[in-house]
Amino acid sequence: MNRYFNFSLLSMVFTYLLIFIGGLVRVSGAGMGCPDWPKCFGRWIPPTSLSQLPDYIDPEKFNLVLAWVEYLNRLFGALVGLIILITFILGYIHFKKSKKVFAPITVAFFLTLLEGWVGAKLVDTVLDPITITIHLLLALVIIGLIIYSAIQAYYAIAGNFESKSSYHPHTKPIILGILICIFIEIIIGTEIRGGLDMSRKENPLIEGVILLKMLGPFKYMHTILGFTLLGLTIYLWKIVNDIKFISSSFMVNSVNFIMGLIITQIILGEALVFLEVKPLMQLFHMWFSSLLVGLSVASFTFYKISMAK
Amino acid sequence: MIKKSYIISIVVIVSFLGISATWVISKANESINELPAVIKKVPDFSMTSHIGENFNQDSLLNKISILDFIFTSCPGPCPIMSNNMRTLYRQYKLHPDLQFISISVDPEFDTQEVLKNYADANGVNDERWKFLRADMESVKKLSTDGFMFMSESLPAGHSVKFVLIDENGDVRQYYNGTDDGSISILRTHINSFLKNLKKESV
Repeated sequence: MNRYFNFSLLSMVFTYLLIFIGGLVRVSGAGMGCPDWPKCFGRWIPPTSLSQLPDYIDPEKFNLVLAWVEYLNRLFGALVGLIILITFILGYIHFKKSKKVFAPITVAFFLTLLEGWVGAKLVDTVLDPITITIHLLLALVIIGLIIYSAIQAYYAIAGNFESKSSYHPHTKPIILGILICIFIEIIIGTEIRGGLDMSRKENPLIEGVILLKMLGPFKYMHTILGFTLLGLTIYLWKIVNDIKFISSSFMVNSVNFIMGLIITQIILGEALVFLEVKPLMQLFHMWFSSLLVGLSVASFTFYKISMAK
Repeated sequence: MIKKSYIISIVVIVSFLGISATWVISKANESINELPAVIKKVPDFSMTSHIGENFNQDSLLNKISILDFIFTSCPGPCPIMSNNMRTLYRQYKLHPDLQFISISVDPEFDTQEVLKNYADANGVNDERWKFLRADMESVKKLSTDGFMFMSESLPAGHSVKFVLIDENGDVRQYYNGTDDGSISILRTHINSFLKNLKKESV
C-alpha cells in the first residue's frame, strides 16, 4: 500500500515536470521541432545533421535544437506514461476495492494515453490552438486525479488525519469556486496566448507589448477574474485560520501556498502586460496555474476526508 | 506557518527550473534566428511582369524575395501555393522590403493579360507581388541553372518550392510551398531577414 502512495507521489512530481517541459516547448517555439510522430525525422533518435534526414521530409524543417527540445518532451512523456502505468497497476494490486483511490488513477491512466494521442494530433495539425489548449487541460485533469488518489491512499494507510478537523460551512463552495475560476482563467489565458500568436503572424516584427494592447476585452476578464480569485482565497484563508474552527496542518499549508501562488500569479501577469512578454515569465505563469489546480484539488480532498468521519 | 525548509526547497527547485529553461529558450532563440547560409547566386535573367515592366536580377537587390514557379491554369498544387503566397502577401502588407515573385512556366497560355487577371484574382494591389513571364527557354534556364529545379516536364512538372532570396540576390533557402509547417518556418526566416535588412540600412 505504501508502494502505491510513493508511486502516486512520483507520478505527481513527474507530471508536474512534464507540464513544465511542455510549456517550455511552447515558449521556445519547438512544437514542430519534430515534424512527424512518434519518430523524429523518421528516426527514434533525432538526427544530428541534415544528411540523416529521410527524403520525404523537407530539409528546411530541421533545426537541431528545436528537434531535441521537442524530443525531450516526448521521451519525458513516455517516462511519465510508464510511471503512471506502474502506479495504476499498484493501485489495482492494493486498492482495487477502494473506489476513491482506484477509480481516479484508472481514469488518469486512460487520460494519459489520450494525452499522448492529442500530442500526436498537435503535430498533425501544425499546432492548432484549440488542440494546444486541450493538451494542457487534459494534463491538469490528470494531475488533479493523481493528487486526489494519492491523498485518498494516504488516508487509507495513515488513518483519518482530518478526524479532529472542523471546517466552516463555506469551505467547500469556496474551494470549488476557486477551482472553477482557475480553470476559466487557464482557458482565457491560453486564448490570450493563442491570440498573441495569431496577431504576431498578422503583424510580424511588431513588439509583443503592442500586440497585447491590440487583443480583445478578454484580457481584462483575465485580470478581473484574477482579483476575484484573490478575494476568494483571502476569504478561504480567513475561514481556515478562524480559531472557531479546527484546521489540519495539511489544509493550512495548502491554503497558504494557494495564497502565495495567487499573489505571485497576479504580479507575474501584470509584469507580462507592463514589462514585456518574456517567454520565461509566460512559462512560469502557466506552470504556477497548474500548481494552483493541484493545491485546490488537495484542499478539496482534505475537506472531503474531514467530512468522512 | 509554512516551514523554512519548505520555502528553501521551493526556491531551489524554481531557480533550477528557471535557469534550465532560460538556457533552453536562449539556445532555441539563437537557432531560430540563425539565418540559412548562401546557397548560390541567382544568375542574370530578364522577364516581363504582369504590368508590363522589365524584371531582372537587379530587381532582386536590396529586397527580400520569395519566388515560386506556377502556371495559372494549373489544377494541382499551384492553387495551394498561390493561396499560401497570398496569405504571406497579405500578412506582410506593411513591409515593402519583402517582394513576392511568381514565374509562369506556361508562357504561351499565360500572356501578360492572363497574368494580370490572375494577380487581380489574388488581390494584388501594389508593387509587392509580381507575376513574370518570358519565353519558355529562358524560364527553363532560370529554373534549372538558377534554382536547380528539374525542368524536363514543364509546365505540369514544376517545383512546389518557395525560394527565399536575400537582398544581395543570393538563394538562401527552399521551402515546401504546399506545407503549413514549412511555411511557418519560412515566416520566421522572413522576420529574421527583414530585421537584418533594417539593421543594415540604419
